[in-house]
Amino acid sequence: MKKRIQILQVTKIGFAFVVLGGALLVLASPFLSEQLFANVWGVEPLTYVGVVLFVLGLAGISASYAFMDMLNEPQYSSGEENKSDSDWTTITGQYFDLFDHDLGRPLRRILGKQREVRENLKGSQDTKISDDVLDLMDEIERQAPNFRLMLANIRILVQLESPSEKVEFQPVEPVQIVQKIVDRYMHVAHDSKKQISWWADPSEFGLVYSDSSAIEHIVTNLVDNAMRFCTSEIEVRITKNPTHFFIRIWDDGGGIPSQYMQHLFDRGWTPEATRREEKISSGLGLFIARTLARKYGGDLTAESLTEPNDDHHTAFLLSLPLAGD
Amino acid sequence: MNKEKFDRKIIIVDDEWQSPILRSVKRRLDEEGWQTKVVVPEGLMISGDDFEVEAMFAIESESPDAVLLDVRFGEHREDRFKGLSILRNIVEQYPHIPVLMFTQYVQGPDREAAVTGTLKWDSRVDFIDKLASPEEVVLRLRRLIGTAPETIPIGAYLTVDVNAKVIYVVNENRSLPVDDIMGTKFEIFFELASTMYRNPGEVVPFSKLMKYSEGEDPRASLRVRIREIKDAIGNVMGVHIGANDLIVNVRGQGYRMVSLDL
Repeated sequence: MKKRIQILQVTKIGFAFVVLGGALLVLASPFLSEQLFANVWGVEPLTYVGVVLFVLGLAGISASYAFMDMLNEPQYSSGEENKSDSDWTTITGQYFDLFDHDLGRPLRRILGKQREVRENLKGSQDTKISDDVLDLMDEIERQAPNFRLMLANIRILVQLESPSEKVEFQPVEPVQIVQKIVDRYMHVAHDSKKQISWWADPSEFGLVYSDSSAIEHIVTNLVDNAMRFCTSEIEVRITKNPTHFFIRIWDDGGGIPSQYMQHLFDRGWTPEATRREEKISSGLGLFIARTLARKYGGDLTAESLTEPNDDHHTAFLLSLPLAGD
Repeated sequence: MNKEKFDRKIIIVDDEWQSPILRSVKRRLDEEGWQTKVVVPEGLMISGDDFEVEAMFAIESESPDAVLLDVRFGEHREDRFKGLSILRNIVEQYPHIPVLMFTQYVQGPDREAAVTGTLKWDSRVDFIDKLASPEEVVLRLRRLIGTAPETIPIGAYLTVDVNAKVIYVVNENRSLPVDDIMGTKFEIFFELASTMYRNPGEVVPFSKLMKYSEGEDPRASLRVRIREIKDAIGNVMGVHIGANDLIVNVRGQGYRMVSLDL
C-alpha cells in the first residue's frame, strides 16, 4: 500500500513536469517556430505540442489524486471491522505513547524541583522548615506513584478495549515483580510512617507461566490502594498450590463497608461517588485489575472486616494459573 | 546519612542530565558512595549519535560497574529511541555491565517490542521510569549489580561492617562498635540486614533463621537472641528499642529489619 502511494506521488511529480514543459512550449512557440519550421500552419506547431502536453499533464495529475483517494479510503466489509478496531487501538496507543512522555514532563520537573528544594532545606541548618512546606513536599512525592499508575491505567484500558488483543504467556518470577513494586512504594511508606512487608511461601518460589506486565499492573493497583487506606501495615504474600499461584495484599485499614463490596470492581465506581463527594480517584484501578486477571485465566476477589473490630482489615486475592491457559 | 565506602562507578547517559530530577538521582547515588560520571558530549548541536559515541567511549575508558541510560535523546525521530541502540551496543560489547534504563515502556507489550531484540538471554538489564524516586533507582541498581557491599547502612544510626563483622552505632560523626553482638547474634543481624539492603520489606522466614537457634523451642530461642541484639544496640545508643523497632516479627511468618527512627 505504501509503495503504491509512493509510486503515485512520483507519478504526480512527473506529470507536473509535463504540465510545466507544455506551458513553456506554448509560451516559447512564437519565437521558436519561425526558426524551426519552414511552413507555419495557422498556429505554430510547437503550440499544438505544448497544449497537448499541458492537457495531458493536468489529466495525469488529476488521475493520480483520484487513485490516491481510492487507496486511502478504508475498504471495510464485516470481516474487516476487527482490522479497523485494531487500527484504532494501534493509532490511539501510538498517540498515547507520543503524549505519555510529554504528559510526564511537567510532573518530572515538579518532582525534581521538590526533591532539590528538600535536599537544600535539609542541608541548611539555619532554615526552619514549616510543617506546611513539608506537607506540600510530601504530598507531591506521594502523588508521583499515583500519577505513574494513572498513565499506566489509561494505556492498559486502551489495550483492553481492543478486541484483537492477544493473550501471551511467558516465564515470570512473581517474586521479582513484587520486589519492584515494593521498591516503588517503600520510601512513600517510610515517609508516611507505614510499613510494607512481603514474603513468598515457599521462599524459593520459582517461575510461573503468565504475563509479567499484567501481574505487575494488577498488584501495583492493589498496593497503591492499600497505601492510601491502610492505618500503618501492608502485607504482600505470594503462595501457590498445584494449579494456581496467589498474591494476597492485606492492609490494616478501617475496612470496606459491606454495601460497597458489590460495587468494588465496577468501572468508574468510587465510594466518594456514592456519597456524592468529590472523587479522589478514577475508579478504574480495580476494574482494570479484575479484567486483566480474568483475561489471563484467573480472578481477583476481596474480603474485608470493618471497624470497630480489632481485626479490621481488607485483603485482595489475585489468583492466576501456574501454567498459563 | 551513612555513606557506604565502596569503589563503584556508574555512568549516566541522559540528554536531560541537567534536569532537577536527574540531579536528584545523581545526588542520591553520590550519597550511596557511587562514583558517578555523566556523559556530556561537546558541541552546540548535540544529537543522539553524539551521546552514543561518548557513552561507548566512557564505558571503554572508565569500566563502570553499571550504566544508567535513557531511552529518549531528543524530539527528532531518530533520537526518540536512541537509547535502545546504545543499549544494544553495550549488551553486545560489554555484556557483563548491568544497565538500568529509563523508559516509558516499563509495562506493556511495547516494552517487549522495544527491547526484546536488544537483549541476550543473560543480559543484566532492568527498566524504570523517570518518575521513580532516587531511592527506588538505588534499590534497583543494588539488585541489578547483585554483589554485597562492604558496609550496610541501617537507617541513619547503624552500620554493619561486613568484613570485620561489627555493628557500629553512628552518632555525631562518631562510630561506636556494639561489642556484645558477635558470633550467632551477628549472623542473625547480618541475615536480616542484607535482606533489607537487597529487598526492602522482604520478611526472612523462620525456616531460614532456625539454623541460628537451638533448644526445644527454636522460635523462643530466636526471640531471645533478637531481644539481646536490641538491648545491646540500645545500650550503646542510650535508648530502649521496642518490639516494633529495628527487627519486627511479622504475623508468625518471620522477621524483617526496618530502619531505626528515633
